[in-house]
Amino acid sequence: MALSFKLLDSIFLSSRCHRQNALHPLLGPLLTDCISKLYSSYRRPGTSPDNTPPWKMNFSFEKGVDGIKKHFGILKKELVDHWKGPEGYPLEEYLLEQTRVVWEFRNQKDLDEWVVSSDVEIGGKSEAYLKLGKNNQTALLYGTLNTEAPRDGETEYSGYCAMRAKLPKGAFERKKYYDWSNFNSLYLRIRGDGRPWMINIYTNPYFSHQKDDLYNYFIFTRGGPYWQEIKIPFSKFFLSSRGRIQDDQHPLWLDKISTVGFTLGDKADGPFQLEIDFIGLLNDRAHTEEFAYEKYERNPKV
Amino acid sequence: MNCVRKLLLARELSAGRGILRQAAPGRDLPWLQESSCAQGFWPVPVRSIRSGAALSRSDLVPSARGDKEKDRGSRDGALVPFDELFERACKGDRNKASFSRAVELFCQRDIRRRGHIEFINAALRKMPEFGVERELDVYNKILDVFPKEVFVPRNFIQRMFNYYPRQQECGIHVLEQMENYGIMPNKQTKFLLLQIFGEKSHPVRKYQRLMYWFPKFKHANPYPVPAALLQDPVDLARFSLQRIAADLSAKVTVYQMPLTDILDDGKEITQLHIVGIQSPDQQELLARHNPARPVFVEGPFPLWLKKTCVYYYILRGEPLPPEEKEEVIDSERNFYYPMQLDLDLDRDLWDNEEFYVDEVEEGPVFAMCMAGAGDQATLAKWILGLQQTNPILSQTPVVFHLTPGPRELQVDLDSESGEEEIPQSWHAKQEL
Repeated sequence: MALSFKLLDSIFLSSRCHRQNALHPLLGPLLTDCISKLYSSYRRPGTSPDNTPPWKMNFSFEKGVDGIKKHFGILKKELVDHWKGPEGYPLEEYLLEQTRVVWEFRNQKDLDEWVVSSDVEIGGKSEAYLKLGKNNQTALLYGTLNTEAPRDGETEYSGYCAMRAKLPKGAFERKKYYDWSNFNSLYLRIRGDGRPWMINIYTNPYFSHQKDDLYNYFIFTRGGPYWQEIKIPFSKFFLSSRGRIQDDQHPLWLDKISTVGFTLGDKADGPFQLEIDFIGLLNDRAHTEEFAYEKYERNPKV
Repeated sequence: MNCVRKLLLARELSAGRGILRQAAPGRDLPWLQESSCAQGFWPVPVRSIRSGAALSRSDLVPSARGDKEKDRGSRDGALVPFDELFERACKGDRNKASFSRAVELFCQRDIRRRGHIEFINAALRKMPEFGVERELDVYNKILDVFPKEVFVPRNFIQRMFNYYPRQQECGIHVLEQMENYGIMPNKQTKFLLLQIFGEKSHPVRKYQRLMYWFPKFKHANPYPVPAALLQDPVDLARFSLQRIAADLSAKVTVYQMPLTDILDDGKEITQLHIVGIQSPDQQELLARHNPARPVFVEGPFPLWLKKTCVYYYILRGEPLPPEEKEEVIDSERNFYYPMQLDLDLDRDLWDNEEFYVDEVEEGPVFAMCMAGAGDQATLAKWILGLQQTNPILSQTPVVFHLTPGPRELQVDLDSESGEEEIPQSWHAKQEL
C-alpha cells in the first residue's frame, strides 16, 4: 500500500520535472499507454485539457514482463557497446571516419523508426503518408496539403505535414543522444518536386523550458528525375521555439542530438512528394564557418 | 489645408470657452463655404473635449445626418465590422485604388480615429479580396491609420507596463501579415512605426527582427523561381525543363507550338505545345542503348514552382541487369601504364568522402518533355521529334506508362494502370 503510493508519487514527480530518468524502472513498462500521456502535455487547440486521475490508468502484467525483458536486453547491449568503443563504433573507426550514414530506407523496419504527422492533429485537412519506394531502396513521403484553417476559434494558419525520427531510447526509456561532434554537415540525397522543405533538429534538452526548441534550416528541392545531393553545414541551423525564430542565437551542440525531422508548410494547396535515399553526416574539411548568425545580443533590454 | 486649420482653431476656441459647440459649415463658419478645398470634404462636426460623442450627435446639421447614421450602423457591434464601408468605397471594382479610398474614408470620418483597431483588422482581412496583399505602400497606408504619438510611452512606468497593449498587438498583426507574404518593409514603415509606437515597443522590435532575418534568407534558395511567373506555356515549359535538366548544355526544342486552327468545314483543331529537352550526355546514353530493350515514357510527374504545379514526362530505360553492365577494367591488366586514372585532386590522399550505402538502381533518363496534354498521341509526336536527333529510337520499342493522376516518380512495374504499346506505324520492330 505504502509502496504503491511511493510509486505513484514518483510518477507525478517525473511528469512535473520532465526527467525521464526519475521514473521508477519497474513501474514504467507496466503503465503501457500512460507513458506517452505523462511525457507529452500537448493539448489540441479547441479541446479541454485532459484530467484523468492516476487511479483510472490501466495496468497490464504480461506486457510489463515483456517490457522488462526487452529493456534488460537493451541495457546489456549498451554496456557491451560501451566496451567496444564510443557509441558502439570501434575506436579507430570513430576517430578516422569522415562520413557516416545515419538513416537509410531499405526495409519496413527502417520506416518504422519515423513518425509522420500532419495538421490533422489540430483539425486540418492535409494528409501525409510514408512508404517504401521502388525496389525497397528509398522512402517516399507523399500526400496533400490543405491550407484551410480549422474553425476552432484559436488557429489562424494551417497546412503542414512533418516526418520525424522517433526519439532514441536507451534501456528503460531513458533519453539517448547521438554524438555527431566528428562531423560538421548534414548530407541528404533526396528527390523532391520543387517544394521548399524545412529540416529540424531536436536536441531533447534537460530543462523542460527548452522542450520546444528546434534548430531549423531550409531544403530547397529542384524537382525533376535526378537525385539531388544536399549538404547543409550545422553552422547554418538557426534556433527557433514553437515556430518563432529566437533573438539569441547560438550554434547547435553536436554532442546531444536527438532527432531530425522534415516539415513542409509552403502555403500551396496540392499534392507533394519527397523521396529520400539516405541521410548521412559529412565532415567537410573545406567548411570553416563556426556560426552563420551573429551571437551578440541584437535586441538589448529596454 | 486652410479649411482644416480653421476647423482646428475653431475647436480650440470652443474648448477654451467650455461651450458645447457644433460647427455647421453652412451656418456658423461662412468662410468655410468659400474655400475651394470643400470638394468632397466631409463636414466633420467639431466637438469639445469634455463632451462625449452621444451629446454631440443630438443637434446635427440635416445634411450630415444621413452619413452619420450609416457610420453608426457600421460601428454598432455588427458581426463583420466595416464591411459596408469597403462595399461603399469599392463600388463593384476591387483594386488598389478603391482599397485606398476605403482607408481614406475611414481616416476622414473621425479625427480621433475611433475604432481604428477593428478597422485595421478588417482591412487586413479584406486585402486578399482586393488583390493588394503584396503591396508595401498599402501596408504603409494602413499603418498611417493609427493616430501618431499618442501611444508613445513618456516615462519609465509606461514603458514597463506595455503601454496601449491592444494597439501594439494590432501593429504586430500588420507586420505579421507582411511577413507571411514575404514583403520587406521599407524606411517609411520604420518611421511610421517609430512615430506611432516609439522605440523599444513590440511592433518596432518585430520590424527589427524582420529586417534582420529577411535579408539573410532572401537568397538562400539555390534554385530560385522568379516572383512573376511566366504566363506563356511554352516559356514556362522552357524554364522548368532547364531547371530540372541539371545540365547547362542541355538543349530545349519546341516540337509543337500551341495553336487553334479552324478548318474549312468549321471544325476546330487545337494543337497543344510540346517542349522537350535533351542534353549531350543523355543523347550519348541513348545512342549506346541496346535497341532490343524497350524504352519507357513515364509521367506525368509534378513540378512545383512557387504556387503553380506543372507536369513533365520522361523517357527512360530499364536498369541494366548485372551481366550487361559495363565491364570494369582490371587494374592489373596492363602493368606498363594505368588504363584509367582516378585522381581526385581536390582532396588529400586519405580523405574519403564516400558514403557506404548501396546506390539506388535506376535506369538512365534519356530525355524530358512537357506537353499540354498527357495523352499518348501528343507524346508520340514528341518521340517522333526525338527520332530526328536520336535515330536509334526508330528501332527501339517505346512503352507508355502514363498514369491518370500524378504519382510517385518510380512506378511499380507490377501495378501499371496505363501501359500501352505504341502502334506499329511508329516503329519497325515488335515489342518483346
